[in-house]
Amino acid sequence: MAIVRVERLSKSYLISEKQPGLAGSLKHLFARTNTSVRAVDNISFEIEAGEIVGFIGSNGAGKTTTLKMLCGLIHPTSGSISVSGYKPIHRKTAFLKNITLVMGQKQQLIWDLPALDSLHVNASVYGISDTDRDERIEELSAMLDLKDELNRPVRKLSLGERMKCELLASLIHRPSILFLDEPTLGLDINAQIRVREFLREYNKKYRSTVILTSHYMGDIKSLCKRIILINNGRIFYDGLLATLTKTYSSSSFISIELTKAVNPVLFKEFGEIIECDELLVRLLVPRSSLKETLFKLLNQMPIKDLEVNDPPTEQIIAKLLRSVSL
Amino acid sequence: MGRILPSSVNSIKRYFYIFRSLFISQYALMIEYRAEIVLWALSGILPLIMLTIWKEADISKEFGFNHKWLSSYFISAFIVRQFTAVWVMVIFEKDNIEGKLSPYLLQPINPFWRYYISHIAEQFIRIPFVFIMLLLLFVLEPSFFWSPSLIRIILAIIAIFSAFTLRFLIHWFFSMLCFWTDRASSIERLLMIPYLFLSGLVAPLEAFPPVIRFVALSTPFPYILSFPSKILSGQDVNIINGYLVMFIWMLIFLLLGRVAWKFGLRKYSGMGA
Amino acid sequence: MNLRFLSIIGVFWSKSILAEIEYRVNLIVEIFSVIGNLSGSILILSLFYSNGNNLGGWTWNASLTVLGVYTLLEGFTTCILQPNLSRIVSHIQQGTLDFILLKPFNSQLWVSFRIFSPWGLPSVVSGIILISIGIHSSNEVLSFNSFLICFLMLISSILILYSLWFVIASTSIWFVRVWNANEVLRSTLVAGRYPLSAYPDSLRRFFTFIIPIGFLTTVPAQAAMNSVSIGVILASCAFALLLLWISNRFWLFALRFYTSASS
Repeated sequence: MAIVRVERLSKSYLISEKQPGLAGSLKHLFARTNTSVRAVDNISFEIEAGEIVGFIGSNGAGKTTTLKMLCGLIHPTSGSISVSGYKPIHRKTAFLKNITLVMGQKQQLIWDLPALDSLHVNASVYGISDTDRDERIEELSAMLDLKDELNRPVRKLSLGERMKCELLASLIHRPSILFLDEPTLGLDINAQIRVREFLREYNKKYRSTVILTSHYMGDIKSLCKRIILINNGRIFYDGLLATLTKTYSSSSFISIELTKAVNPVLFKEFGEIIECDELLVRLLVPRSSLKETLFKLLNQMPIKDLEVNDPPTEQIIAKLLRSVSL
Repeated sequence: MGRILPSSVNSIKRYFYIFRSLFISQYALMIEYRAEIVLWALSGILPLIMLTIWKEADISKEFGFNHKWLSSYFISAFIVRQFTAVWVMVIFEKDNIEGKLSPYLLQPINPFWRYYISHIAEQFIRIPFVFIMLLLLFVLEPSFFWSPSLIRIILAIIAIFSAFTLRFLIHWFFSMLCFWTDRASSIERLLMIPYLFLSGLVAPLEAFPPVIRFVALSTPFPYILSFPSKILSGQDVNIINGYLVMFIWMLIFLLLGRVAWKFGLRKYSGMGA
Repeated sequence: MNLRFLSIIGVFWSKSILAEIEYRVNLIVEIFSVIGNLSGSILILSLFYSNGNNLGGWTWNASLTVLGVYTLLEGFTTCILQPNLSRIVSHIQQGTLDFILLKPFNSQLWVSFRIFSPWGLPSVVSGIILISIGIHSSNEVLSFNSFLICFLMLISSILILYSLWFVIASTSIWFVRVWNANEVLRSTLVAGRYPLSAYPDSLRRFFTFIIPIGFLTTVPAQAAMNSVSIGVILASCAFALLLLWISNRFWLFALRFYTSASS
């Protein structure tokens, strides 16, 4: 059964335009020019319990707006949302105890105090008993690899450590639906990997549903089986990540190792050169002519090793986004 | 000698240009904050509240304060207070904490001038609002109106500007505490107290018992408010004496401020911030 | 439910006191500022009472009680209203209000009572002392009933102050710099240092109905002096409840415009 059900959801904002300066303000006072901007435009989808779904789109595509409507922070202009049987905007206690929101660029921890104090505040707000609380803190901090960091004032933690504490604070009530808005923003590569591993583990352990937006394809690739691509407030792909790679990539990716250096210009006739570094060449060739190209390459070039792959997901998605926004 | 003259003329010219461009940019910045400035102007109504109380109080007759005297005094105090508003401690502390001070220090002009000129720019923006408030007041209560002589107005403008500068110098001196503590702006709360009670803002100094009046007059606070107000309201006041004391206080705080600035900078660069 | 609420507030306050205690210099500054402000206020008040005169027909002790109530309210402002206001503004600007709205706890209570700053306590204590001195030296015997009434009037005056302040704080959903509006309110409330009858008629009406300074300080002081009528008591309670209700409605209304700052 679908735990999240969204039907024909739209959100438009009124934006009043103002010219700079005093004259602009005066004009603004008397004659406002309001324009309505559709941030989310008639989207529908369903998410099953236990799924990890990634929302992808460029800045301002409507990902965050959708996420915030799903957790009940923003009123939809039209359409209906049901999250585990509740209408999010009512923000019923039972609903709130069931979800959590983690935002990469905003933090809820008390700045001047150790993270443990913020955890205690959250635990009391969610009505968690002290023994349960300590048990959960212990369990989650083991999963997150947190130890003494919980006892240090938050302002003295690194960004990565802080994010881990944020995650702990957001999960102390064991929500079954996690909304994550760019959870790895600004983190270094190790911290990113750590956060991803944790989320995967958490999802497995508690069968929680995870809905996340991210700019890092790494997050999406390692976490999400299913992705939803959004552009200008509309969904233009909703399905498995693997399928996307198969259907939307009309090209293949060839990596060649050479026995001796070749003038890169000579590769131009085979396909698009992605990378060319003396003995290493990467090419993008149309799938339709893959066979002939491979044949020609093997015949004409001093090849030591050769590998054919699907092109990297980043490139497919970037290309797709470019093609739909045109 | 022939060489020194042109270069000093040049440096005066240079300063003039710097001040002019600083003023223009700060004025533009303050225009952005006009809504807040109006609210701040509105929040300076304390002298008017005190005016209504003093007018109703029986004691006023004993001191020989008639209604005309009280209204002209407190309305003048209201005007003087509007144009002697100083908030440098708060902003200096903020700049210090946010690390904005370092780039200012690299510029070939003492940051003092930046803050001083931004205060002056703000006051220019206040002028129309203060006039509107006064107009409203006089329309509602025509008996409050009085017209000081032209010479008094000129003397009052000079006194108000000097009072503002004196108050700014005092606050600047205490702002230097930011170099040593990270909550220096709470000192401003303390500085507010003698200003409130000893400057003549809530009661004319004539109403104080002699001892307290003497104490008040030996602080700089009455010169920040009471003295310019009396000039403007057309009351008896020893103008030369008042100006003299005011300038002595300005000199004292100018020197104190310079010394504190020097030591503060040493401390600042010592921290390696 | 109420017990749960109290225990949560208890956790909030103990955590915020922990955070504040790092800045101990504040205590000294606060004590000095309370002493300075009180002696200044008493000095000014004494001017009106020299040579057997009085202020609006109020005795010296009664006026002292008004000043006590004012000081008490100022302490309450420093303890709760002021520190939380700055947080509300930053929550709205930075969009961290999102976290609060998603907590299973009343958001108005959260944003208004999240922080407790201990630095207002010197004011609260000296306010109470001043009220006691006022009552004691006016030879007023405070029966249990009038004590209750006085307490009730203080509660409703705190509720009125809170509601006014909260409505202003809520407007930060539209206007960024509500600090300044709050400063206007604060500077007007200074009028509450003196009994209402010290003001001319027109202003008295303004201070009763528009900015209810009368209910804030004069009425609780009257209750302490045993000279408050049943009508005024009821009016004060009704006014407090009405304003509280309005503040809640207004907050919910304002939240509809909260778009949660993204990015």
